[in-house]
Amino acid sequence: MIAYVMAGGGGGVSVGEHPQWHILGLTINADTVISTAIAGVIVIAFGLYLAAKATSKVPSTLQIAFEAVTEQVERQVETNVGIRTAPFVVPLAIGLFFFILIANWISILPHATEEYVRPPTADVNLTFAMSFFVMVLVWATGIRVQGKHYFGHFVQPYKAMLPLNIIEELVKPITLSLRLFGNILAGTVMVSVLALMPAAISWLPTSAWKLFDLFIGLLQALIFALLTIIYFGMAAGGQEGEGAH
Amino acid sequence: MISCEGMGAMSLYNLAAPGGGGGNLFLIPNATFFVELLIFLIVVGVIWRYVVPPVKRATAQRQEMVRRQIQESQQATKRLAEAEARYSAALAEARVEAAKIRETARAAAQAIKDELREQAEHEVARIRERGAEQLAHQREQVVRELRGELGKLAVALASRIVGESLADDARRAGTVDRFLDELQGMAAPQSASDSASQDRAVSPDSAAPDGGAPKNGSVKGVASVPHARRRR
Repeated sequence: MIAYVMAGGGGGVSVGEHPQWHILGLTINADTVISTAIAGVIVIAFGLYLAAKATSKVPSTLQIAFEAVTEQVERQVETNVGIRTAPFVVPLAIGLFFFILIANWISILPHATEEYVRPPTADVNLTFAMSFFVMVLVWATGIRVQGKHYFGHFVQPYKAMLPLNIIEELVKPITLSLRLFGNILAGTVMVSVLALMPAAISWLPTSAWKLFDLFIGLLQALIFALLTIIYFGMAAGGQEGEGAH
Repeated sequence: MISCEGMGAMSLYNLAAPGGGGGNLFLIPNATFFVELLIFLIVVGVIWRYVVPPVKRATAQRQEMVRRQIQESQQATKRLAEAEARYSAALAEARVEAAKIRETARAAAQAIKDELREQAEHEVARIRERGAEQLAHQREQVVRELRGELGKLAVALASRIVGESLADDARRAGTVDRFLDELQGMAAPQSASDSASQDRAVSPDSAAPDGGAPKNGSVKGVASVPHARRRR
């Protein structure tokens, strides 16, 4: 209820309504910033704990999980991009995966009608930030690896395809961010809708939905990281990648 | 609670309305974008700099350790196989050696046995020869004695025959018989083989009392006598 009041008293199912800060004429969504910071702190704490406890002997379960993800990411990067071509893609994809995962799972504790902490990925600001950062890096990598040839793929297979290819390239970050945003936002909307039921009944579908939401959160984190790698592969690969094989 | 639900149902419909609920263009990013970007960059930066490298190092070290262990285990297996091969080779060699030694021992035993048998045969031959010599010697002695006494005996017999009534045929025959008995009585104390050879030795000089002489003894005696003489 507090959230509704802060959001301007919309009440019920509210979408995209955030308590906001106004600083120097800029509008900032307070809840998104706070939850992003919480997710970031969790990820960094886990990461630093892991790094401090990282051992070459018997690893902890957390380390095994992290190593499994790292290995998968490295394999994906190796097949799509080539680790030597863009070695920074590995930590980027790992960071993306864990950050998005924690950001999605941060909504695991449902209030009667809302999450205690709203998932920051349910706000386009975070997803846009991540996808544009990724795409800028992707384009930069493409230009660095292929040079002028990178722009060649805009006129393939025909010159007439140039506008379509440009649109495709511009749509990539938008789809990448909106896919994640839509899925997580849908989760929160679902909780809000379930909260319309009497509390005596709503606990059951809400619990079931939260479990499913965990799965969706994992899946979306995986998809985001995987697509990032694939985009890097498309940008860096090209003729060079085919020639190598 | 009830009023809340009612309001919720109302605003659910309001979702479709553009910009419903106080400038609700939730697909348009605002300045939050930059804050989010900053936080995201910090998180990724920390993971990039401080988390991934140590974990990857640990993983690499463990992989290296496992590889080394596998290598060592392979080496150990190889060494074991080599040792086993060496062992079996040594065993085979030892078996060959043992067989050789056994063979040598058997040959030595055979040689010793042969030598001993030869020695024994020599001994037997020597003993037999000496026995034969002794026999011949005794026979000669007997013959010499007999020759000495035969004359006297013949004379005694003749004088007895002449001394007694010659007319009495029966008595004459009795005398002769008695004489022959005496002769036989003289020969009786001697051993069987001696008597045989003696009889045989005697037979050419005097008539054999039992006619046919034993073949074996005679042959031996005849064969051994000249041999013994030649030896002497």
